[in-house]
Amino acid sequence: MAGAGRDERAWVRGAQAGSASDFEALFRAHWPRAYRAAYLVVHDASAAEDLAQEGFLAAVRALDRFDATRPFGPWLHRIVVNRAIDWARARALRREVGAGETIEGFAAEERGAPAAPLPDDVVAALASLSPDHRAVVVLRYVLEYTPGEIARMLELPRGTVNSRLRRGLDALQDVVGRTEER
Amino acid sequence: MKPSPVRDALLAVRVPAELEAQRRAWAVVRGAYAEREPGPRHGRRLRLLVAVAVLAALVAAALSPPGRSVGGWIADRVAGEEPTEPALVRLPTAGQLLVLSEQGPWLVRPDGSKRLLGSYEGTSFSPRARYLVATEEREVVAVEPDGTVRWTVTRPTPVADARWAPVPGFHVAYREGETLRVVEGNGKGDRLLAENVAPVAPAWRPGEGRTVLAYASTDGRVHVVEADGQQLWATDPGAKPEQLVWSDDAGRLLVVTTGRRHPLYTAGGRAAGALETPEGQDVLDVSFAPGTREIGYSLYAPKSGQSSIVLAGERLQQGEGRFEDIVFSPNGRWLLTGWPEADQLLFIGLPGVRRLVTVPGIRDEFDPGGVGATSFPRVLEWCCRAPR
Repeated sequence: MAGAGRDERAWVRGAQAGSASDFEALFRAHWPRAYRAAYLVVHDASAAEDLAQEGFLAAVRALDRFDATRPFGPWLHRIVVNRAIDWARARALRREVGAGETIEGFAAEERGAPAAPLPDDVVAALASLSPDHRAVVVLRYVLEYTPGEIARMLELPRGTVNSRLRRGLDALQDVVGRTEER
Repeated sequence: MKPSPVRDALLAVRVPAELEAQRRAWAVVRGAYAEREPGPRHGRRLRLLVAVAVLAALVAAALSPPGRSVGGWIADRVAGEEPTEPALVRLPTAGQLLVLSEQGPWLVRPDGSKRLLGSYEGTSFSPRARYLVATEEREVVAVEPDGTVRWTVTRPTPVADARWAPVPGFHVAYREGETLRVVEGNGKGDRLLAENVAPVAPAWRPGEGRTVLAYASTDGRVHVVEADGQQLWATDPGAKPEQLVWSDDAGRLLVVTTGRRHPLYTAGGRAAGALETPEGQDVLDVSFAPGTREIGYSLYAPKSGQSSIVLAGERLQQGEGRFEDIVFSPNGRWLLTGWPEADQLLFIGLPGVRRLVTVPGIRDEFDPGGVGATSFPRVLEWCCRAPR
């Protein structure tokens, strides 16, 4: 995990003591994955930026009571991913953007990026999943949590996490060409 | 973790504007970190005691007669009319909200998504909401809606009440101590406009053409001046002004005072009657309904603890506590107010109050990760009326 281990604990303690450089180190270590995770769940760059930013603002507010012996990443990711799920659910309920538009818009964004290393169908496959399924896939494969950890973060039964992972992998399997291990 | 094509694929997805997003977010988060007050490491027991005390107070408040009456009032007004929104997930009509919380100003989009613009103390939209002007201690700052800073003016002493002039938006006015200053819309040409200025936000006259500004002076007068400082007219000294509000057509200027009588003036400075409010009731906020000269205002009676919202002489709402804001939607079909005692925003459908949408949990909504008591945010603007 990014930022895990001794460095991270030192950064947390330093940030709690008022070291801006330690806090910046913590931010820079965790921002890329937090933003990526939010983006892959909500498929909206502006919303992902807001969600990741809110996660870090929550971290600032809770910094003094944070237990520096525990890893910072899971605490941050729990906030960001849960908020991302809420945001994506709310958007789906509002039906402001239909599923087809979401996939098309997301894929089009990728097509417009010259450095995009993936075919559109990988992105589209991810977009075809529900926000809850996307969140589980992102927590497992982007943030690298175990199914047990994911179950605790999302307050879900372990079996539900496994079934969502299976459903997510089924959707992505054709694209990546082989079945993933759990 | 074993090698994983799925992980590789997801990590290879190009996330738009990653570095720019990181830069913007860092500016906001760094500001929040810089402003935090580190708590003592041995203070957990104290915090626990405070939390218990706050919880007890909240339980007591909920069980108290005012608490019950708030709940009952909500039930009375909402039952059978409109559901309570679970969160601020959408606005009932077009436009963007500007909300000021302890953390700073938030821009709320029609889909309910929101962005903290920084740790500023006050802010206001530019005429077409392409920018916002904000103040923080000694700085006047123009920012883009994503929080990117466009320009900054730094003064020797604290500044406040920055307001962007209407279309074409060539000027920004702000207060510094007892002076009023104007800077061009590109952040250049900062200059003194007036001295002996009262602590009241200046108000640009709406509409294109001449750029005209109203401000209050410390002797109780209201002055209307051109952007170059040339005075067009001024009132006689009167009750202390607290708020200056123009109608959309620029045909009326309302001077909200500390008294019961709040005079109205024409664009040329002639007296045009007054808004009279009841004895013993404070005016919390005032606005003209868009496209009209109808006045909406919130009254608070400290003795009874009751508030009411009045539009064009008709009482629309009343309840325990304070209705803090009077903010109309750009199309004039909704009136939005904050209700701290109920921790709610109320969207009141107009005309005739046929619809009422309540949004609870507002303190938490604008204080992510916060703990303990936090002040209720203020709704500043719902952009944009056209023309401004």
